[in-house]
Amino acid sequence: MKILYTLFLLISLSFAGDATIEVIKKVESLPSLAVEESSTSYDDTFKLKFFKSLIADLNVISIFNVDRHYRQVDFDASDVVVENKDMKYVLRYQVFEDDSGYFNAKIKLLKESQEVMNKSYKIKKKDFYMFIAHAIAYDINEFMGEPSVAWMKRKVIFSRVVAPRKSELVISDYTLSYQHIVVTGGFNVFPKWANKAQNKFYYTSLDGAKPSLKKVDIKTGKTQTILSSDGMMICSDVSDDGTKLLLTMAPKGQPDIYLYKTNTRKYSKVTNYSGIDVNGQFVNNEEVVFISNRLGYPNVFSKKLGSRDVEQLIYYGKSNAACSANNEYIVYKSRESSNAFTKNTFNLHLISRKTDFIRRLTATGVNEFPRFSKDGDAILFIKNYKAQSSIGIIRLNHNKNYLFPLKYGKVQSLDW
Amino acid sequence: MKSIVLSSVVTALLMFSGCSDKDPEVSSSSNSNAQEVEAVQTETVSSDNGIISSGSDSLSMSELEKQLSSVYFGFDKFAISSDMKSDVATDADIAKANASSYTLKLEGNCDEWGSDEYNFALGLKRADAVKKALVAEGVDASKITMVSYGESNPTCSDKTQACWSKNRRVDFKLLP
Repeated sequence: MKILYTLFLLISLSFAGDATIEVIKKVESLPSLAVEESSTSYDDTFKLKFFKSLIADLNVISIFNVDRHYRQVDFDASDVVVENKDMKYVLRYQVFEDDSGYFNAKIKLLKESQEVMNKSYKIKKKDFYMFIAHAIAYDINEFMGEPSVAWMKRKVIFSRVVAPRKSELVISDYTLSYQHIVVTGGFNVFPKWANKAQNKFYYTSLDGAKPSLKKVDIKTGKTQTILSSDGMMICSDVSDDGTKLLLTMAPKGQPDIYLYKTNTRKYSKVTNYSGIDVNGQFVNNEEVVFISNRLGYPNVFSKKLGSRDVEQLIYYGKSNAACSANNEYIVYKSRESSNAFTKNTFNLHLISRKTDFIRRLTATGVNEFPRFSKDGDAILFIKNYKAQSSIGIIRLNHNKNYLFPLKYGKVQSLDW
Repeated sequence: MKSIVLSSVVTALLMFSGCSDKDPEVSSSSNSNAQEVEAVQTETVSSDNGIISSGSDSLSMSELEKQLSSVYFGFDKFAISSDMKSDVATDADIAKANASSYTLKLEGNCDEWGSDEYNFALGLKRADAVKKALVAEGVDASKITMVSYGESNPTCSDKTQACWSKNRRVDFKLLP
């Protein structure tokens, strides 16, 4: 009996941290949270907008069962509103404009009517309100002792196709509430952050005689051409320290993956197959996970830098055309219907190289371009469903997906 | 415990000001309202607007371009099918004769099933297949350039099989 119990314990422990195993937390088991509004400045439309933004963020942190009712109360009122009496947590906040025109917010978190946390926020312009909402959700998540949601504060850069061969590059927050068009005019695709600070980015320009890789410094607005190649030129990944790039180029009409070093400005070939090798992704800076059609259909492979051996990583699906890697985890796009005559479904799947478990992460439509957050906690992706293009976020450990639709155009590619 | 938090993300976003005019234009607005800055129309000379009529007796570049017929491909395929071979042969004849003084730009395209790199590579392999066929017919390889537009240059946007097959193609453009 003791042996059996030990065995059970061992099995439980070995699977405990595996994100490929679905963690289904019942909604009822999450603590309830209501939000009370006490704002003195700004009109009702803006107040409601901020409330909605905050509710969305609190939902995405996935640790509360969030009540969506908009209720107002005095910030210093001693009791919560009567409808919230049974709530485990109540978040009360006030947004206001100060004498210098800054946007301010202050919050207090009440647990069973007792104040357990408070904090104030300030920002120059009210148009950046969504970043305050993200910061509030981030801080509450930290206060609750949950794994970090630092990705919530990162910027997303994406390419939006607005007409055939016309696109714009947009910097946004992860919910698309804030959007700033940084490159417009022409056909520019595959933007990729150049560093952790997110103040420089690469992108592919398809307007010249040859596809070119360009680099933009956001602070100065300076654009620099890095390299050009006939046929194809894409920056697929940037190493953590920003000194190495994985490029897909085709100088002789043959798409292959190249390693480019930013300090020497020299590149070397990583793959050498006569078919298609694309979408190189660094794993711990020493291995490259990529997409190749070397078996006659697109699938996910890996190769150690400096080695000739190529390893097939995925044995499920007949068309796996895009991937992102984070330590032992790989998320990939798989075609689930395969013919030219009907609408196709593409779903994202997660696999662990340690356990070989596969978990399907999406259910409907065309789901593509998955990108892990740096800490592996979340996956950002593009969803196209019924003529609506959205950016989605998957919270792996909470088994939840959230979608943020785009108002116009179609997302071509993204990075964060 | 009270503290003032000014998000570093926001600080960085506030620093968009001071951009200079570039091609393509980098927005110089520090306003956060996602204001779209007008494109600089004249700075990018693409193959479309770079066509200049010669005005001589010979056929103009745009007229020649119209004579070159696009090559269409099967679903997820980049080999030239047998029914397309005669079109490629005709294209090669034009490229060798009247269009021999121009550079031939082959533009690979795909249907709407994917914006990822693989789809771009598929478009490129289609362009490369046409290039190899043209070279086999005697066209000078050094006069051919290639580009792939993936799914982002459709000629047809209906959700039908006929429409998707029109988008799986290689177009010909002439460059002076």
